Amino acid sequence: MVNLFVNMMKEEWRVHSTMFGSLSFALFPVMIFGIAFMGSFLLPLFRAVVPPGYLAIIIHAIFLLGGIMVGGFGLLGMEVMNRRFGQASLLSYSARSLPISEREIFCTFVVKDTVYYLILWVVPFVAGFAIASPFILVPLSLSLLLLLTLTLAFLTGLACIFFLSTVYSRSKQAFVVLFVMMLMGWAGLYLFTGINTAALFPPLQLFYAFSYAMFLAACAVVIIPSAIAVVLFTSEYTDTTKRFKNAIAPLTKKLSFFPYPPLAAKDLIDLLRSGSFIGQTLFSFLIPLGLLWFLLSVLGRFIPAGEVLLLFAILTGVIASTMYTWLTMFDTFSSYTCLPVSVHALLNSKMCSFTVLQVIPATFIVLVSIAAGGVPYLVPAFVLCLSVSFYALSITVWLTGLSPSVLVYDAKVLLVYLISVGIALLALIALAFVNPYYSVGSALLFLPAWVLVNASYTKWDMQDQPVF
Amino acid sequence: MGVKQGIIEAEGLVKQFGDVIALNNISLSIRQGELFGLLGPNGSGKTTMIKVLTGQIRPTAGSATVLGIDVKKDPVGVRERVGIIPEQETPPSFLTATEYLDFVGEVRHIPDVLKKADWWFDFLDFNDKRDVLCKDLSRGTRQKLMFTQAFIHKPTLALIDEPLINFDPIMQRKVKDYLTEYVKSGNTIFISTHILEIAEEICSGFAILHKGTLLHTGTVAELKEKNQHLDEFFLSLVQKGTHG
Repeated sequence: MVNLFVNMMKEEWRVHSTMFGSLSFALFPVMIFGIAFMGSFLLPLFRAVVPPGYLAIIIHAIFLLGGIMVGGFGLLGMEVMNRRFGQASLLSYSARSLPISEREIFCTFVVKDTVYYLILWVVPFVAGFAIASPFILVPLSLSLLLLLTLTLAFLTGLACIFFLSTVYSRSKQAFVVLFVMMLMGWAGLYLFTGINTAALFPPLQLFYAFSYAMFLAACAVVIIPSAIAVVLFTSEYTDTTKRFKNAIAPLTKKLSFFPYPPLAAKDLIDLLRSGSFIGQTLFSFLIPLGLLWFLLSVLGRFIPAGEVLLLFAILTGVIASTMYTWLTMFDTFSSYTCLPVSVHALLNSKMCSFTVLQVIPATFIVLVSIAAGGVPYLVPAFVLCLSVSFYALSITVWLTGLSPSVLVYDAKVLLVYLISVGIALLALIALAFVNPYYSVGSALLFLPAWVLVNASYTKWDMQDQPVF
Repeated sequence: MGVKQGIIEAEGLVKQFGDVIALNNISLSIRQGELFGLLGPNGSGKTTMIKVLTGQIRPTAGSATVLGIDVKKDPVGVRERVGIIPEQETPPSFLTATEYLDFVGEVRHIPDVLKKADWWFDFLDFNDKRDVLCKDLSRGTRQKLMFTQAFIHKPTLALIDEPLINFDPIMQRKVKDYLTEYVKSGNTIFISTHILEIAEEICSGFAILHKGTLLHTGTVAELKEKNQHLDEFFLSLVQKGTHG
């Protein structure tokens, strides 16, 4: 078991360092540390405007979501790996060839994920906060408590996803019933008692007031679902093979206005059948923007609502630019190497599909403008959002070509991206504060974006496509 | 295409990945109507050679033309004219087998591609899988699909990396017969394999690649004249190459 654990840790590291480069990936925890360290200095400012406890809720929620994401990726790992590496073979599947039971492998996998991501995310975050704490007059003991509660929040996310996934693998009906019951229980508690259910989250309760009883409760929330997951775990899955009617031909006809209609049709099918369209819209767009809107709304005390809306439009543009990854995450160039398709054509097609997806942020920013009473600023907000999105897209395409996922972990690429996008954003924010209507000038960003995209075609056509 | 002009012409091809020299000064000429086998142990550079010849990766030095097209200048032009089966079967995960062939037909502008696909579904015996997503297909079925996409437009040249590796013996026989007939009608096939029996059975010409270096180019007929078996010849050459 120890040997398997050590080798799984090595494997996880090698998978990541192969995908993102050893140095770049090694720098990722350093970056998390840096963000936490510098972010800590903003705490006094936030404490003045954010209701007490809200910041703690947000941080714990982020780590809970982190656990859910890591668990989800772990379970989908083979699928993603196969797309990136061809026929991937991971230790998680070694029960087929080695005398180790599936259950033992699953247990080791859970422990490995826990330790690995604690080192990667939780520890650097808390270390950054701990080192900054003397400067912001926060007792060091709070850092230790944070290490404990964030770890528990992260583990709760992991345990939850493992538990739900094993229930799902046993019975889809049971999964639906359980999920609906959890949702109804949560909503019912809030509606009938008015209790802020987020505050009942044991790691958060522990953070507010440490007690051994609450510590045991928080541990139980991790241990019980994990134990049930191990008991329920089965390696015998029912056949989920689905059959579909030919959608390529009708879609290609409908998308005939695209420069490469079959490529666009394939992108659309990928988005719909992989579940990315709904999942990404919810988890990568609406939820982060909801969180951002909440954070920005506290600035309403200092700056006029119109400027807050424009600031939000800029951030919506940045998040909208990540829709490019939705189009590339389940696709690699290796699928096209036997066809007369150039990298240039693929990039062009993906960007056309991206343009269609921009209907989502465009509609979103219009609705937010109306809902927030910012109709006079609707046009500048709309132009800002789309200009920033296309500008950030051009930087992404220039830096990462058809592999934008590296952006997440490659510290070097991320730094160049942050500087390139950050300078433009600062200029736009300054412009918006001078006069909100000057923001319409952000449309000028389309010019460097166009130049950069054209340069990217040549750049990526001249390079061997990375084969992971 | 003149008779003397090779279908594939490579001159001093070099491909380097960092410090690793995957192809070292390879020169090769393959004529029309040949079923040519590029042989070599694992890691000898066979897949790299196919990737360079089909414009998937650029050579570090040297030049190559395929059907008279420069692979460096017009890699898409090369892929437009030839059929390719990569080493690892990579049909898109979320398209069904039929959709993938329809997609290939749209990209290659093949008229009536689905009618042609019907013949292939029957011939390679995977009619029951036509509406299944590629991600749910077995390796063997994916290989059948990749085989179909490579030949559905009847290319004059097909480049195949390990052509039979995922097929059962019945399918292997069928595919070998198909390839043999295909070259008889004037087409050319370039295969790379480390399975010497296949090469000895169906190839006319062959080359042996070892650690990126071309050790030998010849024909199976020449070996037979000398009463030599390909596997013995291959082993002696590769062992010499390793120890020499």
